[in-house]
Amino acid sequence: MASRTASRWAAIRGRITAALRGTRVISVDEAGIELVASGDDRVIDVLFDDRRIWSFWLRRDTDLLSNGHRLAPWPDRMQRFLDGHTRLVVREHVATTAHFDREVTFGSGDRRIAFVNKRGLEISLDKSGRFSPTFSVRSEEQLVPLLDAMEVVTTMLHDLGIEAFPAYGTLLGAVREGTFLGHDSDADLGYVSSYSTPAEMIRESFELQRQITERGFATHRYSGGAFRIDVTEADGSSRGLDLFGGFFDSGRLYLLGEVGVPFEHDWIHPLGTCTLMGRAFPAPARPDLLLEAMYGPRWRVPDPAYRFETPQPVIDRFNAWFRGTTVWRRDWEREFALTGGRRPGRGASGLARRLAAETEAGTQVLDVGAGRARDALWLAGRGFPTTAYDYAPRGARGAMRLATAEGLPLESRTLNLTEWRSMLAETARLTRIDGPRAMLARHLVDATNRVGRDAFLRFARVALRGGGRLYADVWTGEGEPGFGLHPFDPDRLAELVESHGGSVLSLERLAPSDKRARGLGRVVASWS
Amino acid sequence: MSRRVAQLQQRVSELEDEIAELRRHHLRLAELADVVQELLIPMAGRDEARIAEAIEKFQKSL
Repeated sequence: MASRTASRWAAIRGRITAALRGTRVISVDEAGIELVASGDDRVIDVLFDDRRIWSFWLRRDTDLLSNGHRLAPWPDRMQRFLDGHTRLVVREHVATTAHFDREVTFGSGDRRIAFVNKRGLEISLDKSGRFSPTFSVRSEEQLVPLLDAMEVVTTMLHDLGIEAFPAYGTLLGAVREGTFLGHDSDADLGYVSSYSTPAEMIRESFELQRQITERGFATHRYSGGAFRIDVTEADGSSRGLDLFGGFFDSGRLYLLGEVGVPFEHDWIHPLGTCTLMGRAFPAPARPDLLLEAMYGPRWRVPDPAYRFETPQPVIDRFNAWFRGTTVWRRDWEREFALTGGRRPGRGASGLARRLAAETEAGTQVLDVGAGRARDALWLAGRGFPTTAYDYAPRGARGAMRLATAEGLPLESRTLNLTEWRSMLAETARLTRIDGPRAMLARHLVDATNRVGRDAFLRFARVALRGGGRLYADVWTGEGEPGFGLHPFDPDRLAELVESHGGSVLSLERLAPSDKRARGLGRVVASWS
Repeated sequence: MSRRVAQLQQRVSELEDEIAELRRHHLRLAELADVVQELLIPMAGRDEARIAEAIEKFQKSL
């Protein structure tokens, strides 16, 4: 009873203060938070049972309603959690003045709403709009491994001739608060290369990744100039350390992925120091000026809902210089994060059945763009040693578990057709292995771009040069679209095959029907 | 005059596309240089064990 009274008083206090400021919450429901906004655009925090889950900008992130009120719609990713009771607080981020503080019920659930991940760790929305464990719910002890990793990586880079320093949110936290920002979820490192062209900086970044991989860290490349180093922490969760490369070109500093400004060399080098949780790390000589380049002149004012407003010419440069090797990969990784661990169905596509019917037993099958590897698993089950290739190999985890349990000849390998290094290295590996092959490419050509298609045909040409056949399906655009597919004209596929030295053995168009959700173009080809 | 402006707008747009095309060569040039250094040079040595090791090491770091 006492706490109910206290909460009622808090609500009354909140209403009084809000009325004074003019901003007030009208209602909270399944659609979002309806409010009257007054004053400057500023950050508003939303707390569920005393924990900050989401922050939004009063004007930027709200929609104007016909009655003059504004609606802050719940982010899509929050929707699935909104079932049950909670004490909901809507408050000013800086002043912590509450505009709303009440017990609220969503849906028909009778439990407290809990924002936790599969491991049971408390999560909240970070600045990228993703759910992740936030530093504010993690104990100092839990952050020690991340500090250790930052130290190990910066020392290792120093030994390799690279002077790295905490960057972006990590630099901001260190300089402004001496610790990690509570609403942040990862740690960023940056360095400014001694090279002055993107091509040289990219090569240096490739070499760095090799050195770091050799030292036993898992890595994940985002672009030609940035990659992530995975660090496993004490509680078993994996936390990413992003390493962003930068370079000077004619008086401008470019630092992936947001900075491209006029800058002086001696504002970076020689490096000074900053402090994170009592530990010293290298820092740019003028961290204040770099923070201004990253977050604007108001970087000293906390803003957990900050969004980069990188000028278009800088984005255009970064896109053309460094990006284009992970085309649509993140979408597939998200898709497979949910379903990749499940066992695929036992059936097979018509395309895989045709390959099996026309291919000699024991032939090695390369399933390129295998996805969840349902066809690859089925083919392995029929005695074809099969390689499931994908640039998001986690999709094949369920199939691989089954294949291992049943002793089937299935392997999963990473192949990224939009990254030439990946395709060329795998081509080199395959040329050293003899034996007949066949290739399956079901919805690959229609799920990649021009660079990926070109690389695929070059890969097929070498892999199948012993006379093996390619079996490929594309979506014609008729019927239901599938995830990640773009309509592709089968005649264009036939032309591509021929322009890469292949012969088209057959081209069929299969219309949508009761059994077939979408229209297909099916090409069978070979190389002599 | 408006025709002249339209022509210049068209030319600026074409130049922007051409600049983007040139910029894209940086990444592919770096990729090719990396492949030459890490794979092609070991292959020229014709040492089978070293070639296999170079391919494996290269793929692991991607």
